[in-house]
Amino acid sequence: MKRMTRGAAVTSAIALAVTMAVGITPSHAATTLTMIAADYPGDGHTQQDQWTDFATRFHAANPDITVNVIVKSWNDIDQYVATQIASGQTPDVVNKGDYSAPAAAGLLYPASKIVSPATLADILPAFLNNSKYNGVVYALPDLASARALFYNKDLLTKAGITKLPTSWLSLTTDLGIIHRKLKGIYGYAIPLGPEEAQAEFNIWAGGNGGSYYNYATKAWVLNSPANVATATFLKSLTTKGYTEPNPDKCDRTACAQALFAAGKAVFINGSVFLGSWLKANGGAKLNVGTGSFVSNTGHKPVTLGVQDYFTAYSKNGNQAAIQKWMDFIYEPANYAKFLVAAGGFIPATKSAGAKAASDPALAPFIKLLPNAVFYPGDIASWNSVKGQIQQGIGQAVTGDPAKVLGQLQTAAAAAK
Amino acid sequence: MTTVRKRYRVGALPWIGPAMAVIFLMVLYPAFEMIKTSFMSIDPTGTSHGFAGLSNYRTLFRNPNLTAVLERTVIWTISIVVLTVLISLPVAQILHAKFPGRRFVRYALIVPWAASVVMTSTSWLWILNGYYGVLNRILLSLGLIQDQKQFLGSQTQSFTWLIVVAIFVSVPFTTYVVLAGLTTIGEDILEASTVDGASGWQRYKNIIFPLLRPALLISMVINLINVFNSFPIIWVMTTGGPGYSTDTTTTLAYKISFRNADIAQSASMATINFGIILLFIVLFLKVSRWRDDS
Repeated sequence: MKRMTRGAAVTSAIALAVTMAVGITPSHAATTLTMIAADYPGDGHTQQDQWTDFATRFHAANPDITVNVIVKSWNDIDQYVATQIASGQTPDVVNKGDYSAPAAAGLLYPASKIVSPATLADILPAFLNNSKYNGVVYALPDLASARALFYNKDLLTKAGITKLPTSWLSLTTDLGIIHRKLKGIYGYAIPLGPEEAQAEFNIWAGGNGGSYYNYATKAWVLNSPANVATATFLKSLTTKGYTEPNPDKCDRTACAQALFAAGKAVFINGSVFLGSWLKANGGAKLNVGTGSFVSNTGHKPVTLGVQDYFTAYSKNGNQAAIQKWMDFIYEPANYAKFLVAAGGFIPATKSAGAKAASDPALAPFIKLLPNAVFYPGDIASWNSVKGQIQQGIGQAVTGDPAKVLGQLQTAAAAAK
Repeated sequence: MTTVRKRYRVGALPWIGPAMAVIFLMVLYPAFEMIKTSFMSIDPTGTSHGFAGLSNYRTLFRNPNLTAVLERTVIWTISIVVLTVLISLPVAQILHAKFPGRRFVRYALIVPWAASVVMTSTSWLWILNGYYGVLNRILLSLGLIQDQKQFLGSQTQSFTWLIVVAIFVSVPFTTYVVLAGLTTIGEDILEASTVDGASGWQRYKNIIFPLLRPALLISMVINLINVFNSFPIIWVMTTGGPGYSTDTTTTLAYKISFRNADIAQSASMATINFGIILLFIVLFLKVSRWRDDS
């Protein structure tokens, strides 16, 4: 009896397995694409909804392709993508802020293979130029942002300052006036904490003729005289109490933007989306003005342009499906939805760019873009050097500028 | 005879097998992978480029922050473990005494232990916030300070606060282990010592404390491992900053891996970490047994 039961169980188990196998065997080749996308600020958590909507509509039009989009916060995405690749679960498409390391490692399809020629022709050439590795475009710009100097008009009036500073010298004078007249208010909030220290320092250094990488000599120049002078200048502002205390601990969102929103800081470096961020975070009533950054005498003011990317990994060999999906994303109607969900960035396509130029919130930034400096995002070790800068560069302003920048330079030169 | 014993051994396999499988899969294999990774060359995308010899270790030892981080890790571990025990002993004694509301106090002590460490650390982060923190508010209202203080601003201050929070989180567990030890001490021994005329302090020093040794040793070894590997408190409150000035070897390994995108070098840091904790435990057991012999 017992043996009978066991035999029956085995038979039915086999039968079940066979039916299941038949059940899941597709009648035609189905492809599943995995995409990992960064979560842009937007107005709340709209980004996951937008990608789910895209994936659903795309699957309806292409029943043989399923797209899984995993949305990750900016804090986690680099780590998540690296872990997925290291554990053999390479994604097909990634949407984040860098591309050079995987391009250098030969993991990516070139841009010409991931969108149709028509889509590629619609992307602004200036952005495509920042998407190359060894002369080949390996990434598609998804959107861009630029920075401007934001200031609290009411506080500036209270301090009796009528004209925006135009040089480091006049900036120092103005910050001194603010320090004397407005108790408990910081003149300039400089976030050199890990969140975005690389952006803050790049803008200041750019206004002094400094940069992170020298393309002529093909070398990192983190401790160039111009950069050391920049850190020394910032240190002098901090020592005098013209900035928030401990700028090396001050993160962009939780510290600098929060101080600005609370009316406790007069000047701040703000991105295209700062306006909408302030509205949602207690700064709706602020009287805010924008202008260009302040540079050292003899140098032109710069803005920082930041662009993010779509990259496609070749490991799973899903090139045809990826191209269909990417073309779908860049269809003008869909691309407009993507931009809205991301929250007020500068578009990377000609068709969307023409519309954005008449948007009052974006127009001033688009005007600044031609003078923008970009990160050396096409250098393979940029992502790793960026990490070093984020952790360490704040200490160049609170500690010994030359020594700290020298240590960062050594680390950058050794970075893979 | 031998065959019986052999069969007996094989017969034990089904019972110890699952435990052995768990140890192999969850402890030994990951440790092996970690040590192997520390000798590989892995690029920032996570792709492996084969064997790299000692180059990851060489790069790590050139890190200008490493010495300070190692020293800090030792201070961090020892100060927290020792202070936790020093605080837990009297607290356990109080909780052992009978007083109205004892049950309530005992439950209250569980809270910081039961709450997730990330939650506790986040609460402390906001309590200590230099602009909006409630501690600043209280001290200002009491007139003890004149300006807002950046409690997590400088290295010394933030590291001190990290230690305070770590002790706050470790005390409940240690107290409970000591309390359990206290309840095992028989009333008759204590009564006999009173009859013999021992003072309160003599009784504690010569009877209670020696009998607490097993409980204390266990709690100290567990704390040693926990505190050494502690990641969330530091990460939530300072992310090891400013710069690398409040990092321990654990957070440094994380930063090397996920901020500087160097998984292999991070594995070499983790391997050294592994060695240090083994050394810590061996030393600790040696020291405690040596006292036993004398």
